[in-house]
Amino acid sequence: MTATLPAGEITLRDVTYRYPDRPEPVLRRVEWTVGEGEFVVVAGPSGSGKSTLLRCLNGLVPQFAGGRFGGQVLVGGDDTRSSATHVLGRRVGFVFQDPEAQLVTGRVEDEIAFGLEQRGVPAPTMRKRVEEMLDLLGIAALRDRDPATLSGGERQRVAVAAALAVQPAILVLDEPTSQLDPWGAEDVLAALTRLNDDLGLTVVLAEHRLERVVAHADRLRVLAADGPPLDGPPREILARMEPGALPPLAALGRGLGWAVLPLSIKEGRACVRADRRPVPPAPTDAPPPGGAPSVALHGVTVGYGRRPVLRGLDFEARPGELVALMGRNGSGKTTLLRAVIGFHRPEPGRISVLGRDTARLHPADLARDVGYVPQQPGTMLFAETLRQELAFTLKHHGGRGRDPEAVLRQLGLVHAADRNPRDLSGGERERAALAAVLVGAPRVLLLDEPTRGMDYARKRELGEVLTALRQDGVTILMATHDVELVARIATRVVLLGNGGVVADGGPRAILSDSLAFSTQINKLYGGRYLTESDVVGG
Amino acid sequence: MSDDRSSLDPRAWLLWAIAAGLVPLVGRNPFALAATLLAVVAVRVAWVPPGSGVYSGVGLVRLAAAFAAVGVVFNALTVHAGDRVIARVPDGWPVVGGVVTVNAVAYGVVSGAALMILVLIGTTMSVVLDLASLLRLVPGRLAPVAVAGSVAVAFLPQTATALREIREAQAARGHRPRGARDLVPLLVPLLTGGLERAVTTAEALEARGFGAAVAGGRTAPWRGPVAALGLAASVSGVFSAITGHATLGLVALGGGVGLLVGSVRDPGGRTIARRTRYRTPRWSARETALALALAVFAALVLTVRAVDPGAVGWEPYPSLTVPRVSLPLLAATFLLLAPVPLAPPARVAR
Repeated sequence: MTATLPAGEITLRDVTYRYPDRPEPVLRRVEWTVGEGEFVVVAGPSGSGKSTLLRCLNGLVPQFAGGRFGGQVLVGGDDTRSSATHVLGRRVGFVFQDPEAQLVTGRVEDEIAFGLEQRGVPAPTMRKRVEEMLDLLGIAALRDRDPATLSGGERQRVAVAAALAVQPAILVLDEPTSQLDPWGAEDVLAALTRLNDDLGLTVVLAEHRLERVVAHADRLRVLAADGPPLDGPPREILARMEPGALPPLAALGRGLGWAVLPLSIKEGRACVRADRRPVPPAPTDAPPPGGAPSVALHGVTVGYGRRPVLRGLDFEARPGELVALMGRNGSGKTTLLRAVIGFHRPEPGRISVLGRDTARLHPADLARDVGYVPQQPGTMLFAETLRQELAFTLKHHGGRGRDPEAVLRQLGLVHAADRNPRDLSGGERERAALAAVLVGAPRVLLLDEPTRGMDYARKRELGEVLTALRQDGVTILMATHDVELVARIATRVVLLGNGGVVADGGPRAILSDSLAFSTQINKLYGGRYLTESDVVGG
Repeated sequence: MSDDRSSLDPRAWLLWAIAAGLVPLVGRNPFALAATLLAVVAVRVAWVPPGSGVYSGVGLVRLAAAFAAVGVVFNALTVHAGDRVIARVPDGWPVVGGVVTVNAVAYGVVSGAALMILVLIGTTMSVVLDLASLLRLVPGRLAPVAVAGSVAVAFLPQTATALREIREAQAARGHRPRGARDLVPLLVPLLTGGLERAVTTAEALEARGFGAAVAGGRTAPWRGPVAALGLAASVSGVFSAITGHATLGLVALGGGVGLLVGSVRDPGGRTIARRTRYRTPRWSARETALALALAVFAALVLTVRAVDPGAVGWEPYPSLTVPRVSLPLLAATFLLLAPVPLAPPARVAR
């Protein structure tokens, strides 16, 4: 059936969908309408079906994914069951979470023109559209660059430009900022807001970090793993959400009993001015622990081929420290972690871990004391069950380590112990990889972007686990862009840039004096305030 | 917008790849292979910029050694023929049982070299051509084939990166592979991760309209099967030509190409399922000159092979003989260097 609807309108009627290899449906009897020109944010815990819902909008579900599909999705009047995805692509632009997977040419201009070529757009029109997109997304200077050489934020803007070049009425984005530093994320979101405001583009955006996007949205839809979703204007929905799932500003407003929850820093400032109650004094950073360093880098230069990423870097971390490594994409956070575990040999420089020079050790030898969870946890997981995965680590530690059941309990994975780790959701996979490392009882723990794809509740749980480990004397180095998490759990922040350490100190010293790396609460109250509990107390 | 002149028309590069692959595909003469190898390396040096992420210098030597080693081991242990026996594996051992000969080792070396030349040609093409320029050459009717091809092309370098990441992640858990069973922790994430990546890339291509029919383009139900038949005939033709059935192969190849062309054009000559091009490949005089040089090379190789099979091929069985040197063939190999003077000045200067 084809109805006459505005080109940018989406209607889901009684949609139920189950993946071919899953016993339970991911979507159950979904009724949903998105009006033309709306900016809608889709949020919800890991595994609640955000990506599946988005994929329904251009027919990838069920046309590409298979499975059992019931109900109807109308996109501007086209039924997604009867129109192929590449046909729906004229109306629905789609931007995936991983920009690398969707860019297929060797030049930015060609990437933008790719979809136009497929649709037989005449060359003069194509040239005009490419120029428009380059200007609209602010990437004209990149036109001749190979997308592989761009930063994450630049690549994601190219992906948005490529999706928009065919002039879709709807743009769907699946966590487009999850891999980006604060600047890159802000670039992409500013571009989307401009397109929504100026061109009336319908935007549907899935995102975990609500603090980044909620101020831009007309509507917020929060999916639940079990039960009906919340859907409506962001302020109303935030007022009804669980406290643990709120972004910091809204949590602050709820904590202080403000009648209207602020969505943006600007609104928050107005609320602060109106609230005349005294604010408790800001806490101070705890003094750094003493003792011999468990990780020490002296004059370390490492990189890829002839391109050094770290140049003459000096760094030390002690037992009981949780050090957040921060900095823009490409600043060397991952390289530093990889150097500590022995994947990069310093030339020149010296790295010692627990008093041992890593130059003489194989990474597998270091593994008895050093745990490493890479950015892609899927690279670690191979066994048929999570329990076997933990047993594999213990085997390589000569049976020494922690009780696997206790580790699974600590990470909330008891329910997944006998499941295949690769069948778990993104956040669960991340915790499964962490469990496979923690069972070896490492004295130094290296984490590379451990909160990607995690909702607020899972992040809070991870924070509690890491804090407990730190209090047990484990040294934790964590590369991350997640400022709010760092403010809650880190004992120290090291800001990397230009191959070296730009700033190093307690989180209140570093995050309270930064334009990009500061929390929402710090932007409101300044000083050394970082989290809502600093202001509300408790 | 026309393609910039720092590159050649992708069709010209395809012709070069076919011509350069001719000798390693049809013969095992060490001198002919060595000449081809030098020509391919010269073109790489002229065209492949430094730091492009493909093998160069020491890496090339390592690659050559690896292919030669694989060729030697495989041939020596599976071909039990020749007059120069150097060892004997118990006959009862399946497949590898029998004599190990110098003949088999020598043939293994040249087979490894031929394979390495083909890989070098492929990696060179992957640098001088981007995926989009190749996809633009595929008629809209064959878009699904191109999708599969693009996924395969993207798969190789991504797989190499993924394997490195997996090895590192498992080493960080204390794992050091020592036997075949120890490979499971590496292979399972490699295969499952590779499948996930392939699916995502295919999804992205589909979402971006790859293979979409152009509005107004006409379709007919017979075109798909005809295109498939044409493709099958073309592949069979190339295979027949390589395996010594030149006449049959050329007939099949010609017929296959004809069917492919017919499947994408209507009787009036208008292309069906037409796509447009942002960056129009420009076939200029230099591409014509290159194509002529390569055509002459191919004709010379095939003629020399027909007249004097020992000039292109080499048969070390049953007795080990010194390979023939064909001066006309070696001279013709200079034609494979045709892309070198066409390289951009900066690259030539380097």
